[in-house]
Amino acid sequence: MAAYVFLAPAVIGFTAFVLYPLFRSAYFALTSYNGLSDPEFIGLDNFRRMFTTDPSFWPSVRATLLLVVLYVPLSLAIGLALAVFCNQRMRGVSLLRTLCYLPVVLPVVATITLWKFVFNPQVGLANQVLDWLHLPTSEWLSGENSAMPSIVIVMLWSVGATMIIFLAALQAVPTELYEAARLDGAGPRTVFFRITLPLISPIMVLQVVLQMVTALQAFNQPKILSPDGLGGPGFSTRTLMLSIYGNGFPKLGQVSQFGYASAQVWVLFLVIVVVIAATARFSSIWTYSDHVS
Amino acid sequence: MTTSPDVTRAPTTAPTTAPPAKPRGRAVRTASWYAVALLISSVMILPILWMLTVALKGPSAVFEVPPRLLPHEFHFKNFIDGPKVIHFPRLLLNSVVITGLSVIGGVMTSMMAGYALARLRFPGRKVWFYVFVGSMLLPPVVGIIPLFQLFKDIGWYDTWLPLIVPAFLGGNPLFIFLARQYFLSIPHSIDEAAKVDGAGHVRIFVSVMLPITKPAWITMSILAFQMSWNDYLNPLIYLYSSEKWPLSVGMASFASQFAGQTPDWNLYMATNLLYMLPPLAVFFVAQRYFIQGLSALGTVNQR
Repeated sequence: MAAYVFLAPAVIGFTAFVLYPLFRSAYFALTSYNGLSDPEFIGLDNFRRMFTTDPSFWPSVRATLLLVVLYVPLSLAIGLALAVFCNQRMRGVSLLRTLCYLPVVLPVVATITLWKFVFNPQVGLANQVLDWLHLPTSEWLSGENSAMPSIVIVMLWSVGATMIIFLAALQAVPTELYEAARLDGAGPRTVFFRITLPLISPIMVLQVVLQMVTALQAFNQPKILSPDGLGGPGFSTRTLMLSIYGNGFPKLGQVSQFGYASAQVWVLFLVIVVVIAATARFSSIWTYSDHVS
Repeated sequence: MTTSPDVTRAPTTAPTTAPPAKPRGRAVRTASWYAVALLISSVMILPILWMLTVALKGPSAVFEVPPRLLPHEFHFKNFIDGPKVIHFPRLLLNSVVITGLSVIGGVMTSMMAGYALARLRFPGRKVWFYVFVGSMLLPPVVGIIPLFQLFKDIGWYDTWLPLIVPAFLGGNPLFIFLARQYFLSIPHSIDEAAKVDGAGHVRIFVSVMLPITKPAWITMSILAFQMSWNDYLNPLIYLYSSEKWPLSVGMASFASQFAGQTPDWNLYMATNLLYMLPPLAVFFVAQRYFIQGLSALGTVNQR
């Protein structure tokens, strides 16, 4: 009896704020619901419109995938490299780590807005530094081709979050293994690829999944950084999340397309499910386990 | 938590140590390590230093070409004038109230659920555990539109309730998971002793368990604080009136007012600095918990 008292808030919340909206949004996706009149069932029309007539859908798929393809490998590689680098006995290493955490500690909106100014083409820090180094400057957020890479740079500035996780994984590797390898005369490269990497591979796989899921749902960065707040210039930074937001919660005076936005939500959701399932399926090949001799 | 290793302690291993090299080789390696460390540090710290200098500049100095690294006159008044632009004190209060209540609600309900799942026997225990863990994988965006409609229908649009009430009902599946893990690690003899003394579950939970599990709920509170202080999408959707905004929405709109070049950047930078202070303070006061929380978040990364 007592158990249900303790569990009640969580169960009520789960039912009302997770389960009910889940089914409800699946239903909305098949309707022309606009939040004002009752939902009208229209079958797969939303999806048909998405795949054929909506001029912004495929560009937003492209923008989302570009963000994933740029961000995920870079954040994992840089995060792991930083973790290895910060896992050495050097004077001042803890200060270096703290500096790497700093961007993670700051509020997300504060860092994003700060970078909006860093990337100002005329007087932002980014072009000032490039000028000083006599390198070519860039339009950053206002160029169609440079906008998404700029957003990825902003996201990578918080790579300390990934570093923390890899650092914890590295420190869980038994020291004896390294000592044994050293006695066998293995060089640092061999040690890294034959011991460190296999032993942290489960964490690696988990991070691949989580980073992809995070990147697929990027909203704050493109929303705040794009000059028009809608994923400009053009459709270059209009991620699926931004598209969903734009259709579901438009500017005042425009009708909310809850039905259509819900259909887009389900497309995004299915992509995420596929990513998780595929990674889980292949992880047995990548990850090291004890019974492999 | 208890399961994640403490990231803050000194490194125990040096994966890249090769057999003892000649002293000269070691000196070169040390020097190059510091060179790289300096490069990494500058990437991390430069934008923040730049923010500081611009925050202290006068309106005419912001757009000097070439820019000076140090302003020749310090305009501390920016820290007064900047916050006025977005009614900073009011938004700060909004943020504090919303965040404070979300933290209390989220941590409390998650601790309760974790306690039930770990220490009590009841039918459906396993099922609920899997349900909560499964809901961790569910992207928050899936329910966003029906939730919005639900809160609108019950008259909660343009109030703080949609940002606070869900925390009191279920909090966060990640927290439930962490709380359960922590409760599982506590020996059963402790509840037995309390039961012999005639304490009920509520009593055990409040007077025995909460003191023991302090590390768990401090870590969770810091995480919940971070999440709520960072939350931008939810207040953006639910709060129409700008006087009800938390700082995240206020700062984003402040920054977007500068579509062109206005000489008010210094005001924005000064305000942004103030917005960063609370999380920074929490970080430096409770660094260990903060980093443990971030490691735990690595299981459900939401940045």
